[in-house]
Amino acid sequence: MKILGIDTSGLVGAVAIADGDLLLSQFSIQYKTTHSEILMPMLDDVCKKIHLDLKSIDAIAVAKGPGSFTGLRIGSATAKGLALALDKPIIPIPTVDGIAYNLYGVEKIICPMMDARRNQVYTGLYTFVAGTPEGKSLERKFEMQIIHEQFATSVEDIASRINEIGKPVVLLGDGVPVYRDQIDKLLKVPYSIAPMHQNRQNAAALVSLAMQYASEGRMVSADEFAPDYLRLSQAEREAKEKKDNKGQDKKQQETRKSPGLVRVREMTAEDIEDAALLEKTNLGKEAWTQKQLIDALTRDDTIYLVAAKAGRIVGLCGVQNISGEGEITNVSVARDCRGEGIGYKMVKQLLERGVGIGIKDYTLEVRASNEPAIRLYERLGFVSEGVRPNFYDDPKDDAVIYWKRSKDQSSDQ
Amino acid sequence: MNIDKNVEEDGVIFMSIKDDTNTEGTENAGRKPKTDGELSGSREKEDILILAIESSCDESAAAVVKNGREVLSNIISSQIALHTIYGGVVPEIASRKHVEKMNGCIRAALSEAKVTLDDIDAVAVTYGPGLVGALLVGVSEAKAIAFATGKPLIGVHHIEGHISANFIENKDLEPPFVCLVVSGGHSHLVVVKDYGVYEIIGQTRDDAAGEAFDKVARAIGLGYPGGPKIDKAAKEGNPDAFSFPQAKIGDAEYDFSFSGLKSSVLNIINQAKMQGQELVQADVAASFQKAVVEVLVGHAIKACKEYGYDKLAIAGGVASNSGLRELMEKECAANNIKFYRPSPVLCTDNAAMIGAAAYYEYKKGVRFGLDMNAVPNLPLGDRERRFHAGK
Repeated sequence: MKILGIDTSGLVGAVAIADGDLLLSQFSIQYKTTHSEILMPMLDDVCKKIHLDLKSIDAIAVAKGPGSFTGLRIGSATAKGLALALDKPIIPIPTVDGIAYNLYGVEKIICPMMDARRNQVYTGLYTFVAGTPEGKSLERKFEMQIIHEQFATSVEDIASRINEIGKPVVLLGDGVPVYRDQIDKLLKVPYSIAPMHQNRQNAAALVSLAMQYASEGRMVSADEFAPDYLRLSQAEREAKEKKDNKGQDKKQQETRKSPGLVRVREMTAEDIEDAALLEKTNLGKEAWTQKQLIDALTRDDTIYLVAAKAGRIVGLCGVQNISGEGEITNVSVARDCRGEGIGYKMVKQLLERGVGIGIKDYTLEVRASNEPAIRLYERLGFVSEGVRPNFYDDPKDDAVIYWKRSKDQSSDQ
Repeated sequence: MNIDKNVEEDGVIFMSIKDDTNTEGTENAGRKPKTDGELSGSREKEDILILAIESSCDESAAAVVKNGREVLSNIISSQIALHTIYGGVVPEIASRKHVEKMNGCIRAALSEAKVTLDDIDAVAVTYGPGLVGALLVGVSEAKAIAFATGKPLIGVHHIEGHISANFIENKDLEPPFVCLVVSGGHSHLVVVKDYGVYEIIGQTRDDAAGEAFDKVARAIGLGYPGGPKIDKAAKEGNPDAFSFPQAKIGDAEYDFSFSGLKSSVLNIINQAKMQGQELVQADVAASFQKAVVEVLVGHAIKACKEYGYDKLAIAGGVASNSGLRELMEKECAANNIKFYRPSPVLCTDNAAMIGAAAYYEYKKGVRFGLDMNAVPNLPLGDRERRFHAGK
């Protein structure tokens, strides 16, 4: 049985080829290159290096999700194309199961955490259970047991589930560094973090698990396979939430929780109306409309943050990732809340979070006459690199183009 | 063109477009020059079959095209019904559906053309411009198929595809000619100097023509998609009920601007609202459409005359607008210009047009590497060269 495995669900892009219990070849990259440009050349490479006749492959295994929506689609569409052309089945592997399989034989609780943004992780709970040895042999075969199958939840929730079990836990995945402080506060059991060679998506672990799936006949046809995102698209979620009419409750909660305090968080569907109003008040004709904001929300390559104060949206900023360049599309602070450092707080967070979606450099345009904004950007380490004359109308004004490039490690103070 | 339609459970419309001109067109296709020494493939074969894939917006499509002009199959899986409730295309939903639908489209395209992947000479795919998440599905599939079969890979510019749609039904059309490209994302006036060689002489300064249609349709309560709805309403309205401004751009006579026109439509609506008057929807639609169409036709005819071309083609989603087709036809006849247009179904996004464009790239020896990426803002005429393999 020869299986080709693909995982592009997170920052790691990885392929592996195994024949029976032999790992023939693997290639893994965890770097800020795009999967789209890297995946096929990697695959070409691993096949060539082992003189692989593609037709000899029996099945294609792929991380079926959850993960980055775009990443999942690149992996899935590639797997589907290969499977169609080679007329072979697909073995869909739940991403979190694949990550857990890195820790074969570990009898503690295994908890992979992938950063799912919006203060959530894609996670699950696993452990390995030893089978009874046969005859006098001391060999023990382990089986991975799924205690809680993969799902999207808050760090608080998964931590309380681990505490409930009350056994030591091994954590792994790209969500761990993101939520490290929270994890440390919440966990009441001894925990360790897997070392780097076992810590992320790993195509070798994926094909290894796929061998087992194949022996159990857990395969689907190329055409019927589709990724499992574990989440609706933002637009669908929003439509559903509107229906459930939960929006108002959330806003009231926010008021109760943090009166007077400015909280920066990701923009959600309920914020759209307020955010559009803020834009309109500040920018008039140049303001983004509700539709544009909804569009921005539904995309995988954008981050939109709002600043909330006493349940009111007083700030908005957003960035779009265009092949590694983050274009900051909006920065707005309510007139009566200016000078409170809200803009600085928001944009600083935006710059930090952008790295998570692969942004290296940031750029923005600002009216030449907008001195407070220019001061803010310069304080954050932006450098002026050019001017677009008469870019703005009403009143006519030049646009100054600012960049913050990753190589110049300029301080942000 | 005949269309077989089937609405699937999830609301996606599966269509197979059959080119009924082909039975008589077989001879035409044979008229195309045989492959000459330029062809880099080792196989000396008369017919070049291209499997083409398109997923730049909300239609998943696949087609098999012979020698750039003869469509053996043309499959479109349209999601338009799914996006209507959101008032426009939702990129994430579109991308998800592409993953689900693309294999079925490709399989249907091959089986309807009565060929297998072994018979295909190259795999072509739209790699921009468009929605990046949507484009990536087609690009990933195409790369995987090209890799698994060892066939050459050709990336196609979506708008070059639209222009090339004209080659399918007009076997006599050869460059050079002037082409007006009008769609939801584009308003370009282009001189097609040769196959794959484009000079943009005019473009929109703000909204694309199709965008203006969508926005006005929403404002007057016709909903999405705006183009066909305005076109239909306009037929019952008085085109001279309102006089909307037609922007002229001083320093670039072939450029377009539709945002002023859109604003003045909105103004009239607001005024009427404030005065408690009821506007006749059809009159607004007809007057708006007239203003857009007159500018488009005026620019295109003027370009033909001044640049000295006697052939004019139209392309893109808005090219199916009946008002535009009628006036263009009339003006071309009056000015001794031969007018070319694709059937309405070939004006919408489809893969046959991608196969048509890819054929001429194939003949030129253009091959893309496996690092090809989707380029959401790929400019026309200045194509991304960094993914080209070798050469």
